[in-house]
Amino acid sequence: MQQKLAQLGGGAHALATQILGNADDAADAVQDAFETVLGSPESYDAGKGPLRPWFMRVVRNRCLDMLRRRKPGDDAADLLHDPAPGPEQSLRQEQRSTVIRRAISVLPAGQREIIVLRDYMDLSYAEIADVLEIAPGTVMSRLHRARLALKEALEIDGK
Amino acid sequence: MASRTKYIDQHVDELLSGYIDGELTQQERQRVDVHCEACAECLELRDELRDMRRDVGDARLSEIGEDKWRETMSDTTVQVTRGIGWLLLIGGFLAVAGIGIYEFLIDPSVGWLEKLLVAVIYGGFAALFISVLRQRLIERKSDKYKDVEI
Repeated sequence: MQQKLAQLGGGAHALATQILGNADDAADAVQDAFETVLGSPESYDAGKGPLRPWFMRVVRNRCLDMLRRRKPGDDAADLLHDPAPGPEQSLRQEQRSTVIRRAISVLPAGQREIIVLRDYMDLSYAEIADVLEIAPGTVMSRLHRARLALKEALEIDGK
Repeated sequence: MASRTKYIDQHVDELLSGYIDGELTQQERQRVDVHCEACAECLELRDELRDMRRDVGDARLSEIGEDKWRETMSDTTVQVTRGIGWLLLIGGFLAVAGIGIYEFLIDPSVGWLEKLLVAVIYGGFAALFISVLRQRLIERKSDKYKDVEI
């Protein structure tokens, strides 16, 4: 279980960062989610579906709890920051990553999370509906709107 | 033929996203294909969205790698020290409370009525504590995370 959860850590952190707007808070949220799941592993029923969307839902709920507890005016989408580039990545790829992160950061939280769930984590529409607790039929239209918004943000950024 | 003309005339909008995600039915895919053959605008948008999706997938949105998470989860030192801390705290509290109650009960300078009144007050505190503890345990059992099922 720990091994599988560790593999989900990066994606979960990306999702939490997009919801909370802050990489440090996101790390706390993912850590809390790990503790919750590891504290009661029986809460996950493998017979009912894969671990990844289930864990993403736990992480998302944790993030929403943290957002509720935040003080007014502390909603920090502007705290999204670019992490330092790693030496192993090419400069071009890093630059593209930076542009993508910047463009995603200007989107509303709902659009940020659906883009991360689909395009970054590669969840299916059914899994996304489950994580976001929305009707499966609305995923495609929401995602499409989010992508159009991201495309526009990238175009504005490129000008 | 009529449906083919209809497909050409109507923009496919959100179906483009479903198309690049492989989430459409065969009929829907056909509709997108037919439309994009005739509509340069939608064809361009489809390709742009596909490239953008690939770029997002390749982007680095988290700096914390798998090894770091594994390390954090298996940090037994933290778990053990936390457990010992709670054990010492609760054990110490119970010991002090026990000694205090014992001393109070055997103190001859305090009358039985006073002892009874103090016992009632502390009994009230204990009842409230048990009530809150019970509520927390029930909440924990019906934790929303437990409802998170696939």
